Formats: sequence, structure tokens, C-alpha cells
Amino acid sequence: MKVPIKIPEVLAPAGSLDKLKVAVLYGANAVYVGGQKFGLRTAAENFTQDELREGMSFAHERSAKVYVVLNSFLHDKDLAELPDFVRFLDEIGTDAVIVSDLGVVQAVREHSSIQIHISTQASALNIQSALLWKKAGASRIVLGREVSVKEAGKIRREADIEIEMFIHGSMCMAYSGHCVISNFTQGRDSNRGGCAHSCRFEYSLEGLDTQEKKKAYFMSSKDLEGLRILPAFIEEGIDSLKIEGRMKSHLYAGTMSKVYSEALKFYAGHGHFLSDDLLKWEEELGKVSHRAYTQASLVEKAGAESIFNERENSSEDEWQMVGPVIDASPKAGIVIEVRNAFNQGDELEILPFSGDVIKVFAHEIMDLTMKAVVRTRPSTLVRIPYVEGVQSMYLVRQRSKV
Amino acid sequence: MKLTTYAQNLYDLNVLKDQGYNEVILEAKSLSRFGKLSREDFILLSNRSKELGLRVLMEWDILMTEDVFGSKIKEVQELLPYADALRVQDTGALNWGITYSGKPLQFIAENGNHNLKALQGWVDLANGKMERIILSIELSKNTIEEYAKKLTVPCELLGLGRILLFYTPRPLLSALMPEKIAQNQELAATGESEESPHKGFPIVENQHGTFMFHIKEFCLVEFARDLEKSGLAFFRIDQRWEKPSRLVEISQLTKEFQSEAFEKLKHDYSQDLMRGFYLVNKTDILFPKLKNSRLQKREGHYVGEVLESEKGSHLAIMVKNPKGLKVTDILKILHPKGEVFETKIYSLKNVALEDVNEVPAGELAIIQFVGGVWVKSQVFYHHEIS
Ligand code: SF4
Repeated sequence: MKVPIKIPEVLAPAGSLDKLKVAVLYGANAVYVGGQKFGLRTAAENFTQDELREGMSFAHERSAKVYVVLNSFLHDKDLAELPDFVRFLDEIGTDAVIVSDLGVVQAVREHSSIQIHISTQASALNIQSALLWKKAGASRIVLGREVSVKEAGKIRREADIEIEMFIHGSMCMAYSGHCVISNFTQGRDSNRGGCAHSCRFEYSLEGLDTQEKKKAYFMSSKDLEGLRILPAFIEEGIDSLKIEGRMKSHLYAGTMSKVYSEALKFYAGHGHFLSDDLLKWEEELGKVSHRAYTQASLVEKAGAESIFNERENSSEDEWQMVGPVIDASPKAGIVIEVRNAFNQGDELEILPFSGDVIKVFAHEIMDLTMKAVVRTRPSTLVRIPYVEGVQSMYLVRQRSKV
Repeated sequence: MKLTTYAQNLYDLNVLKDQGYNEVILEAKSLSRFGKLSREDFILLSNRSKELGLRVLMEWDILMTEDVFGSKIKEVQELLPYADALRVQDTGALNWGITYSGKPLQFIAENGNHNLKALQGWVDLANGKMERIILSIELSKNTIEEYAKKLTVPCELLGLGRILLFYTPRPLLSALMPEKIAQNQELAATGESEESPHKGFPIVENQHGTFMFHIKEFCLVEFARDLEKSGLAFFRIDQRWEKPSRLVEISQLTKEFQSEAFEKLKHDYSQDLMRGFYLVNKTDILFPKLKNSRLQKREGHYVGEVLESEKGSHLAIMVKNPKGLKVTDILKILHPKGEVFETKIYSLKNVALEDVNEVPAGELAIIQFVGGVWVKSQVFYHHEIS
């Protein structure tokens, strides 16, 4: 008898309610979001309680799960405010909370019956650690990014606990939760959301065998990308594949959710990845703003090649979001909320929730009141002629004008 | 309050004995972040410590992925009989210690762990095997006092030593020197960045990864008496990067504080000294400023967001509330800068520019222009915002 293949969930970042909708519509099986407090992305557009409620219904109606991030290492006064929020999360049907701090784990257990996922911030890296967190009440471990897929499989089998791993996105160079550069140099607690990304600065290094100082971005990591090792994640029974980036754009949330969910669906249907589509998926990943990609420690321990050592720059083949489709019908045309301007005659790509990109030329552009437009402006709404199949919430993009 | 510290050779042990220490932390090279001792040296120093009446604390403080963890167990098992207690930071090493070591455990809770519930939680998970918690140096004095009193096991705090800012398993220095093989040698450098006012961060790379320290060292020597009164049980002096002879001076100062001697120590010390967050920890003070104030005001009965504001013509609002938007609804519109505008809808069109009485949620509503309202303004039903 053929054993059915277990396909991991695609877990996408949702920095706002709109991004949650984008991620779910583009195929994410689950999203992670932050409330106004208790999470690490202090500057992200976190969710209000109304938005959490709405996001939960939107995702659940489409069979997607919502995990709420409570991964700050809380001080006593913050912890005192947590029970009310936890009870609220339970009441609205939160599928799990993502937690780093043992005090938070206990508070969640005392005040709710929500599942607890241990955040990568806890740097759980081995079987024994997974066993300890399981004893503390966790149902899933988000492993540290230093763990290989093979090691993760072993942890899953031996500790008998769900395993989530990062598959894509920016990376902390330090063991997560073990960097306090911002705390001591900028007075901002990186373990409560205040990281100032000091690891991405350029440093002059002295004492490296040469007389001269050596300038380098030596603590700066390339971005993680694990598309080609999806089969290994599946073989090892990894439960969830996480995409980093609650602060990133709608286009990022949509593209990542689409690429990884389409790739996994292909595998589920065919039992392999031997497809021309692999190149297409890679091309899609390349179109989103990113640093050079690395597999970091997913296969072998990350070494020198995983260091970015460059100033931030945009790649030549980067695409930018023109804007989301606000409405689409033969009567109204395709109404786009312009985030980045485009001109009459430009080639645009419309990214459907599944399937191939729709290419259109903006030969005719009108404003909302039907007046002709030659060059659009950000923060306006424009119409282009209707194209069969285009729906509202599709994202429109265009090659960056570098 | 007892003093505790590290020893790297037999000479250090004699100093500790002379200075009245009861215990010593020994670090094997392959198990400890900055350990220098081979297996044989560890055993030698352990035996000598016992002869001198010093309790041996074996530090196993590296973080380990599964394969690394597996490769260390044999050595841990070989060295454990020479130790009186095991100090760990990796939660996996903690669980292994609870389950298999048979030794009392000391948990290094220096990262995170800023609430009593978490700290007591670790003690409880250890089923009576925890003998000490090593507290974070980010705690302020009132918090240290509270924890020292309330935790059911004694607490230790760094009294003087380097502040570790950053720990990665990746080899970051040798990556810049391809000709060097870092595996068995320690590389050191100092770093500075134009984007940070601090100059000269010490950086070390060894077989466990790369570590960066603060330019200043942490020092609570002048508060040692207060800490003792507040119930702190152990005060750790870390002189692994200083002249060994300095330990005598510091130990004496800690036992009997003298301002002049302390000023001399500060003057002679290789690095500047700081007390970190001991007096107050305000590392969350900037957070409200980091958040967009507009978003903090958004709770409530929200209609939606202005997506276009065309002067003299119209406002386009994306309706998000399931109640929708009707002609004659009275709205309050919150400008991104905080100004509030009021309007009663008298012109309502849908996206196809048809006059309608109502626009449902999820659709675009086009109403009359309201002077001063910008894109990204937030729209509320009038009676539900004050
Ligand atoms: S500074 Fe870099 S390594 Fe440190 S917490 Fe921030 S992202 Fe991570």
C-alpha cells in the first residue's frame, strides 16, 4: 500500500490584516501575526483586537490557521498584562501562540487552552531541548536556524513533537535570543522587539594579521532560501515551513505564499520536483527584493559563503509592486491602488492566486472619474481595461526602474 | 554572599584558595564557549581543586544543534565524575542534566528570562535538581532583590567581567582570512562601525563560533555589599581576559570596599567599566515611539481607509466594516497626523461611478471631497469615536 505523502504547511508572515488576506489568498496554509504588544516586531503594523478577530474569521473560512506571536521575553510588568490578551485570543479561536519565554508559556497554559509553539527565539536546537519544552507544555518547536533538515527530522522522531523550520527570509546572524547588541549600544531591548540590526552595519576590523584595518559587513547574513531542498523537508516529516518577514511587503507575502504552496502542491501530486516549474518558481523568488540567497545550515553548517558582506543593494531583476487590484469587472475595469507609479504603455504583470502570471500593457489608463492618465501617481486609484479572470486582491507588479 | 570565578591553571587555584573561595568554575575547551582546558587538564585541575577544598563547577555552556550535542555527550560523561555540579545554558543540556547527570544543576538564565515566573519555572522543571540560577546582567537592582528573595534556589550574578553581546556558530573572522584555518586556534580582532558611536568591540572566533563583546566591562563591585544585603548568594568575577594577578585586588575590594582602591582599579583596568542597567532598565522606553501613532488609535468601530483624496472631486474609501457605508452616514475621519474631520455623506457612488444608497464591505465607496483629508486617513462612524 502506498503511504500518503505528508506535505508540510506553508506558514507565511502577515504584518497587517491586508497582508494576512494576501498570504491566505495566495495559498499559505497558515499565517503568523502580532498583536499590539508582546511580539518582537515593535515597528510592524501589528493587529488591533478587531483586526485579529477579522483576520481569524477570514483565514478560518478558507481553512487556514492563524498563529499569534507572543515571542518577547517579557519583564514582570508586561507579563501581568498578558492573561486578558490570552483569554481574548482563546475566545476568537487562535490556532496557536508562538512563545519564547517560559513565563509566557505558563501564563498561556493557566489562562487558555491555546496550543503553544516555541519560538525560534528560544534557540531550541536539539532533541533534549524539544523534550524539555514538551514537558513545559509545547506542542510544536520552531527550531533555531542553525539546525539542519536532517537534524530536525531526528528531533521530530525522537521527541515526538511537531517541528517548524524557517525555509525563507532574512536571518539573524546570532543564535536567536542571544544577541543583545541593541540593548547595550542603543538602549533598545532586542529581545522585546528593539533590534537595531547592528549586525548589518559595516565594521572596520583591526588585528586581523594585517597592518591595515579591514572593512567588512562581516556579521551580516545572506537571506535563506530552501526551495530546492523541499524534498528533504518532506522526507524528514517537517510539519511546517516558515517564511520570515512580517515587516515585508504585500508582494513579498503574496509571492512567497504562492511559490512555496504551488511547489508543495506539485510534489503532492507527482511525488517529485522534476519539473520545469522549478526554474519558474526560482525566477519568482528572485523577483522579490532580497539579499543574495543561501541555504545557510539547512544542509551543512553555514560557513563563509553564507555571509553577505555587502551593502544593501537591489538586484537587477528586482520587481516592484505597482499595487493591489481593488476591484475588477467589465464595468469598472481593473482598479489599481497605485503604490509605485507606472506610465502609459508600461508592461505590467498581474499575479493570480494560482497559475501563470498575466502580462498586460497599460495602453489605456484612466483615473477614477474616467479621465485619461499618462503617468500615474502613488496614492491614487487608476483603472486599466478589464482582463478576463482578474480578481480583486490580485497583486500587480512591474520591473523596477533602477 | 560568596565569590565564584574561573580557573585556567594551577596557579589560579592557589590564588582562589588564598582569597577564601569555596568553589571554582572549570571549562573544558570542547564544552565551554571560552574554555581552554584539555580533558587531561580539566581532570588535573579538578583533582587539585578538591585537594584545596574547592567545589568544582563544570561549565557546559555552548549551544548545540543535535549533531553537535550528540558529539559532546561522551566527553561530558567522562568529565562529570570530576565535577560537583554542572552549569548549562542550552535548554537541551539542562534536560540532559536533569535526566542523566545525577549532579546538581546550575542554569545560566542570562539571556531573556526577565520574569520570576520563567525563572521559577526552570527550577520547577528540574525536579529538585536545580541548585542555582545565574541571572541576567540586564536586571536592575530592585528586580535582583525580588528574585533573590522569591526564587526557591540561590542566585548568582556577574560582578565584574566582559559583556557578551553576540554569539553565532558561524566563523565570521576566518571568513575574511581564507588562508587561516580557525578550527583549533582562537582568532581575535576589534571592530568599530561608523553607524555606531562605540569603538573597539572585542571579537573572538574559536571552534564554537564567533563572539562579540561590549567595549566596556560590566562592574558591580561598588554595589557588592548592597547585593549581599538583597540576598544575592553568588557574585561572579570573570577575569579570563585580564591579568590573573588582578583577581586578588578585586576579590579584596568586593569583600571590603574602599573608594580609593576602586578608583585605582578603574584607572588600571584594561577596559572602561559600566554598571549596565543595574540602577534602572528602560530598554523599552523607545517602543511607543517606534509604533505608528495612527495605528494605536485604531481600535473601535472602524469603517475603513481613504485610498484616494482628489481635491475638489471626491474621497475613495475602502469599506471594511460589515455594516457597510450608507448615504447620510455621518463620519469622523482621522488624518494620519491626528487631526479629525467630520462629514455627512450626501454623495455616494460605487466603483462603477453609479449613484447608490449603500456600499457593502469589501468595496470602494466614492463620496464627496472633504478638505484636509489625505490618503491613509482612517474613517470611523461618527458616534463611535470621541
Ligand atoms: S542585531 Fe542582528 S544578530 Fe542581533 S538580534 Fe538584530 S538581527 Fe539578530
